[in-house]
Amino acid sequence: MVLWGLTLLWSFHSGRLDLLLRGVFHSLVGVTGLLLLMVGVALLLQKGGRQERWRWPWLLSGLMGVLVLIVPPTPSFSDLASNRPQGLPDPPELAFVLPPEQRSLTEWVRYLRSQPDPDLVADNPVRISGFVWRQPEGPPLIARLTVRCCLADATPAGLAVEWPEWFTPKTNQWLAISGTMTVQRRKDRRIPVVVPSGITPIERPERPLEP
Amino acid sequence: MPLERLDKLATAWAIFQGLLLEAIPFLLLGVAIAGLARWAVPPGAWIDKLPKNPVLAPIIGALMGFALPACECGNVPVARRLLASGAPMGTAFGFLFAAPVLNPIVLASTWAAFPDQPWLLVARPLGAFLLAILLSLLLVQLPETQLLATALLEERRMSQPLSNVGLLQRSSGLIGASTTTTRPATNQRIKGWQMLDQSCREFLDLLALLVLGCVIAALVQTWLPRSWLLAVGGAPTASILALMLLAVVVSVCSSVDAFLALGFAAQITPGALLAFLLLGPVVDLKLAGLFTVLMRPRAIVITAISASLGVLLIGQWINLWQL
Repeated sequence: MVLWGLTLLWSFHSGRLDLLLRGVFHSLVGVTGLLLLMVGVALLLQKGGRQERWRWPWLLSGLMGVLVLIVPPTPSFSDLASNRPQGLPDPPELAFVLPPEQRSLTEWVRYLRSQPDPDLVADNPVRISGFVWRQPEGPPLIARLTVRCCLADATPAGLAVEWPEWFTPKTNQWLAISGTMTVQRRKDRRIPVVVPSGITPIERPERPLEP
Repeated sequence: MPLERLDKLATAWAIFQGLLLEAIPFLLLGVAIAGLARWAVPPGAWIDKLPKNPVLAPIIGALMGFALPACECGNVPVARRLLASGAPMGTAFGFLFAAPVLNPIVLASTWAAFPDQPWLLVARPLGAFLLAILLSLLLVQLPETQLLATALLEERRMSQPLSNVGLLQRSSGLIGASTTTTRPATNQRIKGWQMLDQSCREFLDLLALLVLGCVIAALVQTWLPRSWLLAVGGAPTASILALMLLAVVVSVCSSVDAFLALGFAAQITPGALLAFLLLGPVVDLKLAGLFTVLMRPRAIVITAISASLGVLLIGQWINLWQL
């Protein structure tokens, strides 16, 4: 109990939950960790030095608890995105009223879903950040992952980019892109494509998952 | 090891942590409710009052879900406590299978995700209710010895009146005691420390199984492209089967699965959508380990197959009605 309490508290404190769960669940994990720690310590004190009969499943799960404690999660966002269909739910609020240059990548994708005519966004200024999502076919996209619960339900939102010759995007690399939205024909479809005027490699954001 | 495989392993490790850390609070909530109920209300006080009628018992069990707003992980310890206390099997199984959907949080999240689909707000709780009754009616046809896990069966025997179980069945070693219809010592309230100790043991037992389930779910999720499952979205039967498989693999909590379904609802048939929302709370990879504290492997297989068939039928009917 003490070990699992520490594991949950450490996960809460170290900020790794930002990589794993939606924000609303973070405090739940923290409170649970605190409860487990308190109950574990109380039971240890109550039992004194009496020998506890351990069971092997406890030892195995305890080993996993230690591993969770010492091995932080380092998911490949590109892998996760490739494994999921793009199916971004509509936002609860009308985010598309934001001016184009203030829209985040997910807000752009949501707006483009609600507005099927890409010509209406042609020449709009774009300022977005995301990771490089390597596609099985075609050039990589710039993307973000959204979650409703935890990483298991992560859903990608991606935008096509006309990568300049002077820049080679690396899979999972985080980039800030400023440029212009254009409309291009790809695979017999007219789709919105970001033409960058500036690309800056950035650190992974503290909260890389979006609601 | 190739870099790509290492990347996948790292992704599986992160999914495992996400699933586990999100499920542990709900597991603790379930164990706490089960422990507190046992400590505060001695089983004999109300277990005897539960209906034993094979149809009424699961209905009461299913409706008890409104008292426990948790996902499926939290319901397992409560259902186990019900069975160990000698509650009618139909009630415990009705609760186990229906409570993950028939609770205020899950109903509210379904409404929040699909406010424009009123049929789903009726069909999900109704389908979960019918499925729970069906599974309970089916499982109680098995003798307890073939249905319940050995440790649980022994605990249950100790809680049942001697008029219901023999001394040899109870394995208590007490020969010659009078046959009585009253419950044995479990009627007495246990001490607070004892309750805490027992609940901790139960939590650690269940946690070990939850860890196993999360490992399996994370590995399958990482190596099975989800787009394969959704590729058949438009075909009535294939889409239901694909979404049933997705529900089993994803193993996401019932309190948030509606939001996940929202992401691909437009690409699939209505029957497939309902099938996803009905099957996941009853059968998924994360639950596979947890169920072993309740049932024998054969009973788990029967549950999985029956639930899948029931959900397939409900999904087909919805597709006939909606498409």
